Amino acid sequence: MRYVVSVSLGSSKRDHEVTAAFLGEDFCIKRQGTDGDLARAEELIRELDGKVDAIGLGGIDVYLYAGGERYALRDGLRLLACAKLTPVVDGSGLKNTLERQAVRYLEEEEKLIGPGTKVLLVSAVDRFGMAEALAAAGCDLVCGDLMFAAGIPYPIRGLEELTRMAKKLLPEMTKMPFHMLYPTGKKQEEKAVTAAKFAQFFDEAAVIAGDFHFIRRYSPPRLDGKIILTNTVTAADVEELRAQGVKWLVTTTPELGGRSFGTNVLEAVMVTLLGKRWDEITAQDYTALLARLQLKPRIERLN
Amino acid sequence: MATRDELLACLAQFRDRCNADAQLRPMLADWERTILIRASDLPAEHLLIVRGGQVYLEPAAADGADLTVIAESGLLADLFAGRITPTEPYLNGSLRVLGTEEDIMRLDFISLMIWGE
Repeated sequence: MRYVVSVSLGSSKRDHEVTAAFLGEDFCIKRQGTDGDLARAEELIRELDGKVDAIGLGGIDVYLYAGGERYALRDGLRLLACAKLTPVVDGSGLKNTLERQAVRYLEEEEKLIGPGTKVLLVSAVDRFGMAEALAAAGCDLVCGDLMFAAGIPYPIRGLEELTRMAKKLLPEMTKMPFHMLYPTGKKQEEKAVTAAKFAQFFDEAAVIAGDFHFIRRYSPPRLDGKIILTNTVTAADVEELRAQGVKWLVTTTPELGGRSFGTNVLEAVMVTLLGKRWDEITAQDYTALLARLQLKPRIERLN
Repeated sequence: MATRDELLACLAQFRDRCNADAQLRPMLADWERTILIRASDLPAEHLLIVRGGQVYLEPAAADGADLTVIAESGLLADLFAGRITPTEPYLNGSLRVLGTEEDIMRLDFISLMIWGE
């Protein structure tokens, strides 16, 4: 049995454990939330180091991307530095491959998106591959990075503007405590008091894409007929989306034991299967392994 | 250390840069705040008032501010003139900002928008 643990800054209420087989290898996959406590996450990673096959970082990204530049979050680097023996991954290596494939699949196989489809990508710098794929599909893309990470009611329209903004803001913003940029712990369970300010951007879009916690925290009560393209949803989240009137739920990672885990979990599994150092793994390695694993996005009609 | 006049000139420069930035205006439209700027080594206090997407610089009044920015005058002058960014001084404690985290982020954001690369 191989062991993968996802250490998350998210709520411990979402903790889960599942066993699954990948290419004939049995994996025990566990998620451990630290309720936004960065010090507890550091301690947990130190405890797990050398005892499990790979560690995923959930509820936090280490690397953000925009326009060919990579920006490292200071708190994410702190967590990475806690493990000396076991590979630690944040999902960003795989996201770039998996999420592009998911968008292409929705366009070519399912015909759910195409030129002119209005998409609200709640945060693009943590999913730049998805943003590029949506733009390449001709979607009318609004990126919500400023709205949902900084509370500023300014929609970023297109990748050029996103790249320009990222250059100005991210070198400094990535130094800020992570909880100031992203909902962690209990905040993940609460609706934002400023949610109404952004409702029109949800209303205008046919597809709401990206980080599920941002979607959940800021979405208006009704999402009738919308397509949600995300990952990391639990069975309870699916029911909540159904009640909001969502038509299609698409997760870029497959369903395991009734939920879609984050890309950090899947990347941790893949790093274990590849048996290479994380920094030696290429996008081609992920593409080839994804093909062998025959992973497809989960597509579920909810209404 | 900066003089009172030097600090005032840097704040005026900050106000002018904000008001000249057409992209920044809609980003401030929903944010009405009174920001008290207090030098810890000078008897100098000023107000930056954000209203209707515009920034105004006024002498400090007795009324309560939404945000209070406190640092040595030299640091404040450097910050508002864009010679340094606020993140490191904020994180190492030489710059204190009293207010909600959302407002602190917004102020940081404004400074990066006008002075960022």
